[in-house]
Amino acid sequence: MEQAEDWLVESLRLYQDFHAFDLSAATRVLEWIGDKGVFVAGYESKKKNEILHLMLPPRLSAKENQGLFPERDFKVCHGGFSDRAVLELKHLPDTRLLVTSGLPGCYLQVWRVEEDSDVIKAVSTVPVRKEVGDLWSRLAVFSSTPRVLHGARLSSLQVVDLESGETTYTSGVSDGEELSSLQVLDGATFAFCCISGRLGLVDTRQPWAPLENPGQSPGSGGQRWCAEVRVGDQGPGPCFSSLGADGQLRLLDTRDLCHPLSSVQCAVSTPSPNPELLRVTWAPGLDNCLAISGFDGTVQVYDVTSWEGVGSRVEPLFTHRGHIFLEEGEGDAAPLVTTHSWHPCKPRTLLSAASDASVHVWDWVDPHATC
Amino acid sequence: MGAGQDVGRSCILVSIAGKNVMLDCGMHMGFNDDRRFPDFSYITQNGRLTDFLDCVIISHFHLDHCGALPYFSEMVGYDGPIYMTHPTQAICPILLEDYRKIAVDKKGEANFFTSQMIKDCMKKVVAVHLHQTVQVDDELEIKAYYAGHVLGAAMFQIKVGSESVVYTGDYNMTPDRHLGAAWVDKCRPSLLISESTYATTIRDSKRCRERDFLKKVHETVERGGKVLIPVFALGRAQELCILLETFWERMNLKVPIYFSTGLTEKANHYYKLFITWTNQKIRKTFVQRNMFEFKHIKAFDRAFADNPGPMVVFATPGMLHAGQSLQIFRKWAGNEKNMVIMPGYCVQGTVGHKILSGQRKLEMEGRQVLEVKMQVEYMSFSAHADAKGIMQLVGQAEPDSVLLVHGEAKKMEFLRQKIEQEFRVSCYMPANGETVTLPTSPSIPVGISLGLLKREMAQGLLPEAKKLRLLHGTLIMKDSSFRLVSSEQALKELGLAEHQLRFTCRVHLQDTRKEQEMALRVYSHLKSTLQGHCVQHLPDGSVTVESILIQAAAHSEDPGTKVLLVSWTYQDEELGSFLTALLKKGLPQTPS
Repeated sequence: MEQAEDWLVESLRLYQDFHAFDLSAATRVLEWIGDKGVFVAGYESKKKNEILHLMLPPRLSAKENQGLFPERDFKVCHGGFSDRAVLELKHLPDTRLLVTSGLPGCYLQVWRVEEDSDVIKAVSTVPVRKEVGDLWSRLAVFSSTPRVLHGARLSSLQVVDLESGETTYTSGVSDGEELSSLQVLDGATFAFCCISGRLGLVDTRQPWAPLENPGQSPGSGGQRWCAEVRVGDQGPGPCFSSLGADGQLRLLDTRDLCHPLSSVQCAVSTPSPNPELLRVTWAPGLDNCLAISGFDGTVQVYDVTSWEGVGSRVEPLFTHRGHIFLEEGEGDAAPLVTTHSWHPCKPRTLLSAASDASVHVWDWVDPHATC
Repeated sequence: MGAGQDVGRSCILVSIAGKNVMLDCGMHMGFNDDRRFPDFSYITQNGRLTDFLDCVIISHFHLDHCGALPYFSEMVGYDGPIYMTHPTQAICPILLEDYRKIAVDKKGEANFFTSQMIKDCMKKVVAVHLHQTVQVDDELEIKAYYAGHVLGAAMFQIKVGSESVVYTGDYNMTPDRHLGAAWVDKCRPSLLISESTYATTIRDSKRCRERDFLKKVHETVERGGKVLIPVFALGRAQELCILLETFWERMNLKVPIYFSTGLTEKANHYYKLFITWTNQKIRKTFVQRNMFEFKHIKAFDRAFADNPGPMVVFATPGMLHAGQSLQIFRKWAGNEKNMVIMPGYCVQGTVGHKILSGQRKLEMEGRQVLEVKMQVEYMSFSAHADAKGIMQLVGQAEPDSVLLVHGEAKKMEFLRQKIEQEFRVSCYMPANGETVTLPTSPSIPVGISLGLLKREMAQGLLPEAKKLRLLHGTLIMKDSSFRLVSSEQALKELGLAEHQLRFTCRVHLQDTRKEQEMALRVYSHLKSTLQGHCVQHLPDGSVTVESILIQAAAHSEDPGTKVLLVSWTYQDEELGSFLTALLKKGLPQTPS
């Protein structure tokens, strides 16, 4: 494998740290628990899928006194079995509970990570409105109390309290637009993004009146969108980032969702072969940086500082190609990155997972040493 | 495994169909006293071990699997056969001697085995080839399978009749640069005993480990430092050399790389001997040229250690406890630009172990203190099976049950469930000292008499290999033979008379006709009803259905009642009961 060897030598220059693992099944989920653990889960239909709680190699933790030879392996701390494909998984902060959503989509599954054994046990289910076809509920969790925001459409948006089982909020609208992402911003507000690109911010204390953009006109190619809001006090500038299946990336200020601050064309091969996998995330530890994936076997990091206007092509600050070059499989289909996630503390460290069941943890070297 | 982590000591006792086999005889590397040896009193409180054990099997040369062997055979006392592969037989004594030297000479221990004991112990060894069935006695046989992991490591199948156990020792399911992957055929053992030290890990890819190694070496030589890599001749040295050679070629580096001559001689010698134990790539390389003929890697001369500028040196021994590697270490330790990369586990008492534990001031001979300023790194290339590997092996062997050793039960509940669900087998995880008993259903061969066989064949149905066939016969167990014979023959052999069981039932019917007429009517009724059976009217007035006899008689007190006596043998129970029920319903009114 000449190419792989070449890339490996290249990688000495490109990355500070690099780890590659092979799970027994691919995951679409990378959910952090603290800054040392991560959950992954299988998404094969008609099969028993595994949910795993993995501890990162100690080498990758924030620098602590860990002795001289931290091991390089992931440790499987806990594991559980799901009868259905797991498409989204959220951990409820400060609890041992997890909630998952998948297909068939008529319920959410609640799990508990056991304390005195290494098992993740299914404890209860939350019924959701039954949808036609392959729709499944998006999830977002609140941090103060164990509440879960879920819904496949705007009309089915609800917040359920896991302790009491009560539904504490309903959108109460008949608008059946499909959702692509949900994000809790604080105890009372959340953001949504529809697959049409329609974005909104909702205050749960009021009847439905979101701050939103008017949504894409039907003639805009019918492409799919996803979005993420930057959290934390990152200073002035764009808050909402929205990514489309044709490679368009829009940055918006939450105070004026109708007029994007900028709209650029990312350097990706388009259209995305599976737009459901589109993902855009803001870097928690870097100013004005975000990462995108879902177009091919790469993850791209962009610096949005100088972006403005509409339509300009942008180049990534860094592209992770590990999943393409380290592919161990029989080489039929090129692997597709299914999801990625930033390390909560280490500014340039990311996790990425691909359809060939690989999971990479990488810490890229900043080519400009500014970001 | 790094310093400070517990390496298990392997020693498992298996009792199978009356045979007792000891699997491995390891040393616990963490202890300095008798706790490092297994507690052999578990085996038997009194009586000689040689009488109790049928054989001992050693899986590979690592000390945590063979370190207690001379103690066991010479100091506790065992004279039976010790089985291991040829490479293990060649390498074991070297490691044991090295270990003995460190323990006795360096640490001044008493109550340790001597050099002579190692030699005497090895005299009891019987070396085996891969896939060779070895008869330990007329009932017990063993067979070795390739395990990867290290040179000569094997997994063993132990078989007595239809019961068998496969013990993995340490194994690896992914091939690396110099060894292949473990492999076993679909031998379907009653039990598979698997190492599970790494069962709860998902291993970082080989490539990433190599990358890390290259990065460290590269960074050190870039800043003008020297890199010392202490190796055991038969460990990863070969692999690391190939790696560096490839990298140097690609990067067009000019920094010199050396290996000490002691290393090459030994390595060449052993690889030549055991070429079949390495993987395809190495074999190809070896056929083409000398194992250590590299473009960028040259033989080392002691004087080179004093040369200025960057360099990389591979030197023996691996734990820095003596010899050339220690000499070089002493020269380079004081410079922080330099680096030492330890590629394996170090035994307590060695310099390697001390620096891996974080010690930076070492007391050398003559009370000289050596300050260690060079960087100390540890690279673990050792290959063990992780969760994925264990699942693969279970899938290959298809055992009835699985037993996991050296894991922590609480931390492996998930793996246990996974194995049980995927393969539908029971999975056990015993603690040290715990006994696990497994029920097996052994198949017992039974001889069938020719007469009985002929009779069954005469029934006209051909025997089918996969279909179960019900046979009636008598099982005779005499001494240790089992025979299936026909009942008649059994009676004859045992000198018993056959008893006949006969049932008689009385059916009362209201009928004023005479007995003879009654009998005739019964005959007609049964003849028309029981079309498939042989119904006859005998001259004496009785009716027979097959061998069942029916006679009509008058009731002794009531002339209006007739009594039908129905009589049948044990064999005709079913038909007899049916007839009785039928007759109880009464005879048809219409005259036949």
